Amino acid sequence: MHLTQLKLTNFKNYVWQEIACSPQINCFLGLNGMGKTNLLDAVYYACMTRSHTGVTDVHVVRHGADFFRIEAHFQIEGKSEKVVAKVIPRKSKVFECNELVYNKLSDHIGAFPVVMIAPGDTEMVTDGSEVRRRFLDNTLSQIDRSYLNALLLYNKVLQQRNAALKQFAEQRQFNAGLLEVYNAQLIAPGTLIADKRRAFADTFGEVLQQVYATISGGHEVVDSQYESKLNDRPLAALLAEATEKDRLLQRTTVGIHRDDLALTLDGRSVKQFASQGQLKSLVLALKLAQYEMLRREKNMRPLLLLDDIFDKLDKNRVQQLLELLLQQSFGQIFITDTDEQRVREILSKLDTPFHLYHVEAGVATLAHTA
Amino acid sequence: MNFSSKLIEEAVQAFASLPGIGKKTALRLVLHLVNQPTEQVEQFAEALTRMRQRIQFCETCHNLSDTPLCTICANPHRDRSVVCVVESIRDVMAIEDTAQYRGLYHVLGGIISPIEGIGPGDLNIDTLVQRVQQGEIREIIMAVNPTIEGDTTIFYLSKKLKDFDVKVSTIARGVAFGGELEYADELTLGRSIVARVPYQTGEGLRGREEF
Ligand SMILES: [Zn+2]
Repeated sequence: MHLTQLKLTNFKNYVWQEIACSPQINCFLGLNGMGKTNLLDAVYYACMTRSHTGVTDVHVVRHGADFFRIEAHFQIEGKSEKVVAKVIPRKSKVFECNELVYNKLSDHIGAFPVVMIAPGDTEMVTDGSEVRRRFLDNTLSQIDRSYLNALLLYNKVLQQRNAALKQFAEQRQFNAGLLEVYNAQLIAPGTLIADKRRAFADTFGEVLQQVYATISGGHEVVDSQYESKLNDRPLAALLAEATEKDRLLQRTTVGIHRDDLALTLDGRSVKQFASQGQLKSLVLALKLAQYEMLRREKNMRPLLLLDDIFDKLDKNRVQQLLELLLQQSFGQIFITDTDEQRVREILSKLDTPFHLYHVEAGVATLAHTA
Repeated sequence: MNFSSKLIEEAVQAFASLPGIGKKTALRLVLHLVNQPTEQVEQFAEALTRMRQRIQFCETCHNLSDTPLCTICANPHRDRSVVCVVESIRDVMAIEDTAQYRGLYHVLGGIISPIEGIGPGDLNIDTLVQRVQQGEIREIIMAVNPTIEGDTTIFYLSKKLKDFDVKVSTIARGVAFGGELEYADELTLGRSIVARVPYQTGEGLRGREEF
């Protein structure tokens, strides 16, 4: 799968922009703050129906404009696919594939798999479990429609249950019956999510180890472990047992929204024991393992968006990485960087088709094709 | 907008305070009334005042009514053993329009959604339990929209009613009635009430289309 053309209207700092893509490597070069990353985000948006940064559409639309539009043309196994997003923030959001409007945005997720590697990824090893849950959800949602639907359902019921617990406290009356109804509504989606996360984590651990060894050259053993109270007890029992605690704390204290993907290096906690270099390699390995999992499950190469990759790796390592990625079947890659010289040097050694764009103040100009 | 008349301005503001009516439409309506005979406008205003002063909710089913008991509850030809539970009065009207249902109603006045500040205590649930307690009712039909909150409400009600000798059913799921009961076309809605299915505890929590 690859993107052939991207057309943007009022997306972030772009008034109007058209990008013709190379099926292999596309580079966006320019100073910081000019809009390089926004181009990657537009590709991400076209695949995932939202910004990679997690901001709401109010912050995606160009300042002063009332709507934005993304048109993305893909090729999948020789077939053309046209994706259009038309968004009026707070009013309407429409996604179309080949002129057909999706009933639910979630129906689009996974049709055009994508992996974004960005400087913020370090949070995956430094921050709390929420970031790693989001990583699991992002990957599994692209692989498995039933996972995404269960997650959406679970989250809505969870919000209602938490709101009910708050209401009980405010009104000083406890309704055990209503809580039982919410428990029942959480059990099916929650259990499905836990089962899928567990199965995923098993395979993911092996892939992560392989990728880590390749990019770090180190001999440490990395592992990822799915941590959940649901590993030991069914959700129904957990929820029932937590009733008193939930009532006191006015929120749901057990469930898959508390899970974690624990990362270890030689059996020790990454957060506490890994060096800076090991952390950088691990963060990158996590994302490349995600890429590999998507490639296996979807049976096609996801789009790979590399934002400021030289932040994580030196020049030689980046070249090695690109060689690695371009081996076997060819995937499409989008790269941003501030240093044109550095990028051109690597590209000249790779002997791969590429498009090179200069980005300045919301305008991207095709500077070189090969 | 500049008005030469304070009277016109006040009338325009009154219309514009209604949902879906902007200043321009309000002015058009007011100017229309200016050209009508005085008695006709008086009748118009009086109809509104009388409606607001005298309208009440049926003591039994919470439907809108001119009398303590609504015309549906008071009708001796209706089947008193079947009660259809709906969210709002507009649902009653939609189902009545199908002319396929001969039982009674119970208007909940919303669905359970704590996020919007609506708990079970804010709905007409206790009065439903009391009606069932009286023993005349044999079947309760849950005609609540199949959303997550609708599922919560149906499940909650069925738990409240489980100790009584009453059959609980739902209007046939999978029958496309366009999501919103009140927009359902009469034929499909009528058919889905006739072809209702027994409710099993927790039903709709599994195997739903979006799940
Ligand atoms: Zn009545």
